[in-house]
Amino acid sequence: MQDDLKNEQLARVNIYALISRILMNEVDEKLLKLILKDENILSFFPEFQKWDKRKKMSNKDLIEKELNVDFTNLFLLHLIPYESFYIREDQQMETGGDNPVQMLYNDFDFRVELDEARVMSADHIGVELEFMYKLCEAEYKALEDGEETIAAEIAEMQYNFLKNHLVEWAPMYLLNVKSEAGTAFYFDAADLAIEFILSDFEYLTELKNSEFSYKAKTGDNNGY
Amino acid sequence: MYLQSRRTFLKGAAFSVAGVAIAKGVFSTDAVAESITESKFTDTPDSILFYPEVKEWDNFAELDGTDWKRGGIGRHGVKSAENPEGIEVNNFMIVPTVCSNCEAGCGLTAWVNKDTMTVRKYMGNPLHTGSRGRNCAKGYAVTSQMYDPDRIPFPLKRAPGSKRGEGKWIRTSWDEAMETIGKKMHDTLKVGDEMSKKLMIYHVGRPNENGFGHRVPHSMGIDGFDSHTNICSAGARQGTIQWANDDRNSPDWANADLILLQSSHAADAGHYFQQSAGNIADARKRGAKMIVIDPRMSNSAGMADLWIPAWPGTEAALYLYLTNRLLNEKSKNGSDLVAHDFVKEWVNWDRLMDNKDYLQKMIGYGYISKMPKDDSYESFIELAKELYAPYTKEMVVRECKLEGMEYKLDQLWEMFVDGGSKIATYLWRAGPIGHRGGWMNTRAGFLPLALVGAMRGDIGGVGLHHWHEISVAGKGDKATVAGERPAKVDVWNEIAWPPEYPLSSYEMSHLMPHLLMDTEWQQKWIKKGLNVPTKLAVWFPRMYNPVWINPDGFRWIEALKDETKVELSFNLSPTWSETNWYCDYILPVGLAGERNDQQSTPSKPEQRIEFRQAVLRVAAEKMGWKAKDPTRATLEAHMKYGLGEIWEESEFFPNLMVHHVDKDGSLGIRKHWASKKDPSRAVTVPEYFDAAMSLLPRLKETAERMYKDEEFPVYSYMRDHGAWTEKTNVYKPQEEELKFDGQNYFAHGKKHPKSEVRKDKFGTLWIEEDDRQHSIGIEINGELHEGFHTLSKKLEFFSEWFAEWKWPEYAIPIYPRNEGEYKKMEHIVTQVHHSMMKGDNEFALNTIFRLPYNIHTRSVNSKHLMEISQNHNPVWIYTKDAEKLGIKRGDAIRVNITDTVSGLDSGYFVAMAVPTEATRPGVLACSHHAGRWKLKNSVNIPGFEHALGIMGVGAPKYDMTNDGKIGTLKPVEGIKPRHDVWQFKEYNKDLDNIWWDGLSGAWQNAVAATHSDPIAGNHAWHQKVVIEKAKADDKIGDISVNYENNFKVYQAWRDKLTRPLEVGDKLRRPQHIKRPAVPLSNKAYAIEIKA
Repeated sequence: MQDDLKNEQLARVNIYALISRILMNEVDEKLLKLILKDENILSFFPEFQKWDKRKKMSNKDLIEKELNVDFTNLFLLHLIPYESFYIREDQQMETGGDNPVQMLYNDFDFRVELDEARVMSADHIGVELEFMYKLCEAEYKALEDGEETIAAEIAEMQYNFLKNHLVEWAPMYLLNVKSEAGTAFYFDAADLAIEFILSDFEYLTELKNSEFSYKAKTGDNNGY
Repeated sequence: MYLQSRRTFLKGAAFSVAGVAIAKGVFSTDAVAESITESKFTDTPDSILFYPEVKEWDNFAELDGTDWKRGGIGRHGVKSAENPEGIEVNNFMIVPTVCSNCEAGCGLTAWVNKDTMTVRKYMGNPLHTGSRGRNCAKGYAVTSQMYDPDRIPFPLKRAPGSKRGEGKWIRTSWDEAMETIGKKMHDTLKVGDEMSKKLMIYHVGRPNENGFGHRVPHSMGIDGFDSHTNICSAGARQGTIQWANDDRNSPDWANADLILLQSSHAADAGHYFQQSAGNIADARKRGAKMIVIDPRMSNSAGMADLWIPAWPGTEAALYLYLTNRLLNEKSKNGSDLVAHDFVKEWVNWDRLMDNKDYLQKMIGYGYISKMPKDDSYESFIELAKELYAPYTKEMVVRECKLEGMEYKLDQLWEMFVDGGSKIATYLWRAGPIGHRGGWMNTRAGFLPLALVGAMRGDIGGVGLHHWHEISVAGKGDKATVAGERPAKVDVWNEIAWPPEYPLSSYEMSHLMPHLLMDTEWQQKWIKKGLNVPTKLAVWFPRMYNPVWINPDGFRWIEALKDETKVELSFNLSPTWSETNWYCDYILPVGLAGERNDQQSTPSKPEQRIEFRQAVLRVAAEKMGWKAKDPTRATLEAHMKYGLGEIWEESEFFPNLMVHHVDKDGSLGIRKHWASKKDPSRAVTVPEYFDAAMSLLPRLKETAERMYKDEEFPVYSYMRDHGAWTEKTNVYKPQEEELKFDGQNYFAHGKKHPKSEVRKDKFGTLWIEEDDRQHSIGIEINGELHEGFHTLSKKLEFFSEWFAEWKWPEYAIPIYPRNEGEYKKMEHIVTQVHHSMMKGDNEFALNTIFRLPYNIHTRSVNSKHLMEISQNHNPVWIYTKDAEKLGIKRGDAIRVNITDTVSGLDSGYFVAMAVPTEATRPGVLACSHHAGRWKLKNSVNIPGFEHALGIMGVGAPKYDMTNDGKIGTLKPVEGIKPRHDVWQFKEYNKDLDNIWWDGLSGAWQNAVAATHSDPIAGNHAWHQKVVIEKAKADDKIGDISVNYENNFKVYQAWRDKLTRPLEVGDKLRRPQHIKRPAVPLSNKAYAIEIKA
């Protein structure tokens, strides 16, 4: 695998991992510490970097007095981070086995541990993003093994999942998060997520247009 | 900054940690998916089968139910070596058995986990054609009963030196108990005289089996059986005995067009509740109407098309009103409403018309004005028209106190006529057992049903009980050394069948303590030449709690505590009970999945048996385990698999008889219980029940085909299936042809030469056998039929024998027609008649309605049932009545019971009032099925490390006082969350979550004096009460009883109302009607009373 492609894939794996984690559960001290000390990660949080409160408070206080409060508002109480809420006309959530996203995971032999995730159903934004992370990781491994055909199949799954699911609703939700956010952290996180999802969908669309030819893609690296 | 450069995101490749360290990781591994692929389980089955097919029952894998809370296999996969966190799979053996929590005998299956040898759950049995795989709350509660934290773990014996009721117990063994009890029984019987055969009484509560219990005293040659029937349903039975010489009716609910319920039992609590309710629901879905006659708006009444809240005990008037209209009115098209074809052929009007003496008597009673012009059917109809003409709408409105509800009578009439011959009813319990003369409910109630042809027993109508029941549990004789039934018993026990009540439907069991303590009564009859017992050598109840459930409980306590009256007592009891407290031994026996019984419940027009089994024994045996002693296999299995020293009667009694009561066979008992296969030991369960159930020809044929290599094929079939339907569509068997080959008649398996058969002028065929006349069939219009079970072989509108047995005025369906007749006909006027209520605070108390979740003693400590039954037993009082008395919801009231025969007061109980429109004016309702008590929370057994809890989930602790005259009970401590569970912990993890205090009503049964119906003998449950607001120190649950007065009440009802046997009487009782429970010889029936 060429370095460009490797970087590209690795970046996708890591960013999906990052945003899925942030949008799924409250930030803990370990994660906050990682974000603050990794300049590459921190660079995705421009407003947060400048935020006064971040500078004045200890990490613990920052989490307990600011970030968790905002998380509760944005993910648990006032906004509904579930696809079915945005997609269904009746704005109901489907928490059972009939959730179409749950069924899609099942089809790919993925099992979501909802108790571990502490979410109500499988179409939570954090879970869907982690699903993308798992697919990207699988694609990366396939490319490492030189299995481009398999990697291409996985990339097509990603394209379909973004097209049929995340792109359909996540931007709407994330715009709401940006608008409601009470902390710079979640404002930035939502912004990062929107930007990345749309960018990644564009990337995958191009890959699809090249009939999932990684060579063609790496040969024409001008898009970025 | 939307759509920022993709290049920016490439920084993601340079994160200092990999994505895997950041992501939450909520997707599980591939092993989960593989575990599902490799298993048989799926979230999306093609069909949902509630039960697996029988062929899978020995080895059925099922996902653990509790794990489904975690999301099922869709999230966790199936547990395996590679996927240890997956959903656990239970390896079940499904063993069929039968519920034992009420009389319905619904099929159950025990799901035995083969790894732990515990029953994880009880479900229904789809092979049981009565219950059809369904159960009520009580059925599913069996698991909580089986693994009751307060289950008695071993036999207990009253501590030496202590008195009964002190609550001091020691641990003993079944062997010691059998040795002591067996010796006492042996020594009693060894005397060999008449009295020795009257000194032991086996007292059975809900039998839930068909004949094994009767065999116990029968094989011992004693007249020693008491059932609970006279406090339960004996009133209804009396009316059926007079009509059909049958025990009760048996409706075809599912095919009826009208469901007619007096009281609500069949549809919302019992009899055969769950099965009947299902069939009633099927009928209503099809369009059938439902009428409920009940002073209380039961669940059924609430859903009925018509609710008639007649004054309790006056319902006979309502039935005779229907009779009047059927006889005197025409249908809309002008035709008669009476089904003349049926009545003319199958009702014994001809005997009435032929009995001129009786017709004269009817004129004397004022029933009719003149003799009929001839003996014809048409003249009978004219007679009947006049006889029932007084039961007009105005009369019934006045008598049943239905003022303002006249329109309901019109609706009743319309529905009744529309129902035609497809009217199904089950006249049972509440009305008939509540009142003096309650039996007239069935006597009068069956009359309009007979007139419309519903009593023909055809599709959708009313059949009779014995058509639909199979009783073979007492008939396993072929497996024993004797090989035949024991001989008839030669004695008559006056304690069970006193001479004041020769027609009692069942034993006068509710008077046992009174008769034992009434020395004046004993001496009176001894002087008249009867050999009346003055004590019992051994009294042994089985699954029965008379101290609590019988009226006048303090009298029971007095008698049971008196060691000169009851020399030895033991209770075969699956749970702690109030009665246990006053016995010498508590012998813990099995519940639904721990017993071996043949049962048969007539819940629809078919003949079916079910087989209750000790499921742990069966599962273990099928997995290859063998008991050391095959005659004690059930006990051994229960001990081996951690249930405790729990045994049951079908192994206990054979061992007791063979090894203790009659070791050497000199008493003639041993041979009836010793195994034919190995006479040195008792008969085993497979031997006995294979022989008994082999009496069913179709079952035998099927079983022998399916289990040809098994030693006990019929037993094996029932072991694996749990239920068998021998015959379906059993309708109008009275019309079956009586076989006659020109020379011989064939009836009930016997051949009768033509020369020995006499035909009387009514067409009835008679033979002489055992020195008396028996009818074997009837000729109608030149055709021979088997006929009904009566002497006349027809339904008996006119009960000739009843007239001869001292009650001529009630030998036809009748009811007082005006106030002037209340006194004259006092035997059939309820003791709570509205004419007896004088003040605003005087009421009739309706005590007998079942609570569907909590009807029997043994369910007291089922946490499942207790949790749903708390505080469900207030006193219902009509809102306007409450208003008048200033009583509000939740107020504590004193309910003072007073007797309308003697005028004596019994005392009071304190209960919570709930004003409601759901009981009629003037009538209170408070079920007598609640109000359990205990005197200690636990007992310590010397040498045993754990205290044994007593009804720790179901009954509060009380303080009791009783001095021989006055008894009181006061609640002192409710039940509490439990942290002390030492047994069955896995099943009782939630016992720290008890939120209820257990106080669900007062022990009103103790306050109630006995009211023995002078004819049917049953206790008439309802009470006249006077209510007042509770006093300052009163607490809900308090009772105070003047049981000295109650004793006088019992005597008053006996002496003022009965017509006892007298000089010149030759028989104790009519021989053609059933005389439970042991067959008696002519010698036993014979009586000679001295002046």
